[in-house]
Amino acid sequence: MHIDQETILIVDDDALNRAILENLFSTAYAIAEAEDGDEGIDKILALGDSLCAVLLDVVMPRMNGIEVLRRMKSLGLTDRIPFFLITASPDDDIVHQAYKLGVMDVISKPVVPYVVQRRVDSVMELFRARRELSAEVIRQQNQLLQQTKQLAQMSVGMVEALATAIEFRSDESGAHVRRIRDITCHLLRTTPLGAELTKEQIDLIGLASITHDVGKISISDAILNKPGRLTAEEFELMKTHTVKGAELLSQIPQMRNHSAYQYAYDIAMHHHERWDGRGYPHGLKGNETPIWTQIVALADVYDALVSKRCYKDAFQPSDAMDMIQRGQCGAFNPELLHHFKQAESTLIQFYTPTGGDNK
Amino acid sequence: METSKLQQLQQAGIDTQEALGRFMGNEALMLKFLLRFPQDPNHAKLLQAMEAGDASAAYAAAHTLKGVAGSLSIKPLFGQASAITEDLRSGHLTAAAEKLPALIQTYQSVLQAINAL
Repeated sequence: MHIDQETILIVDDDALNRAILENLFSTAYAIAEAEDGDEGIDKILALGDSLCAVLLDVVMPRMNGIEVLRRMKSLGLTDRIPFFLITASPDDDIVHQAYKLGVMDVISKPVVPYVVQRRVDSVMELFRARRELSAEVIRQQNQLLQQTKQLAQMSVGMVEALATAIEFRSDESGAHVRRIRDITCHLLRTTPLGAELTKEQIDLIGLASITHDVGKISISDAILNKPGRLTAEEFELMKTHTVKGAELLSQIPQMRNHSAYQYAYDIAMHHHERWDGRGYPHGLKGNETPIWTQIVALADVYDALVSKRCYKDAFQPSDAMDMIQRGQCGAFNPELLHHFKQAESTLIQFYTPTGGDNK
Repeated sequence: METSKLQQLQQAGIDTQEALGRFMGNEALMLKFLLRFPQDPNHAKLLQAMEAGDASAAYAAAHTLKGVAGSLSIKPLFGQASAITEDLRSGHLTAAAEKLPALIQTYQSVLQAINAL
């Protein structure tokens, strides 16, 4: 039963009463004493969680037991430490007040040792069990959070792998989609472009950027992996991957219910629109295309330039940046181009030898 | 403790066995507080307050005296002090005054028994 450093505080102005209670509990617990309510409160605050019970007299000079209880309740301490009222005159009014203030038991004086011990012990046992239970709940909660996080990470990994498989029909790593995600999130987090978005929204947009090319699953290998230029007819087919991707996402119920869905749908549909309105599939102009989709489109172009593809070699990052800024690779929002240029030194870091597939 | 002394205390109305139980069999501790009892000021305070007709001071003294008598198992004194405490709680000075002589008598015999230890 004895647990190290568990202390019982006895608050009573009468030395005789304190001696009797001290003698009763000192074999199993450390004992602290206070001679009035004021001193009692000081000791309770000083001893804190090492207290396992407070035995409180009612009639005391300076501050009575009921007032002590009132202050302890206002500090929330009656929920954490069991308080006992030890009183010579248990009149109904005081007992009622004491219970309302969170006292666990009212014990009458003169005390009967066996009764006091049993009643105090069982309440302390209850509090101990409660503490252990709440510690266990916290432990399990942490475990659940950890597992949820692992599951979420696994889902993202699956989506990355699937998106990559669809986009390249090869066993390449998910580095391309990861970089698009990193560039998109970086620009939204660190530039005014993302000023109106919360951290959570930006994370969702990052997730949604991964599936931008999911519609390429409907494009034949002959077109997708063609080394040379596409014919006009082939290009028309290639363009359908935007609408097809959005449709595909809308047909997966789990996707439709995901908080990233609205972003994913828009990104898949509109990541080939152009600032000048000459893009596809809808010919949206300027900011008719949401800023996050504009960013994904730019990141996609940049990443394609600095990576080796079946139809081209890799460009140097600085050359790729120049080509984009000069408008050789599409028409983009001037403000976006400005922030993109500003971020160049950070963008290059996403293409470290360990993380990139730009051989 | 010697049997004769125990008997003395018991004759003065002190339930020594119950008191010893309250001190978990710690006789030295019980004796320490019994021997301290004659110096307890609450009996004198009670008489003074009753003399002065101060019901609330008398109540406080009677209440404390009752507590001490109860803790030391001085049975008749505990009973009388409780009765007077109840009278004074509701402000009945006359009723309390009527019960006072019996309490004084008990107190004297308790004091004698303790002083003889």
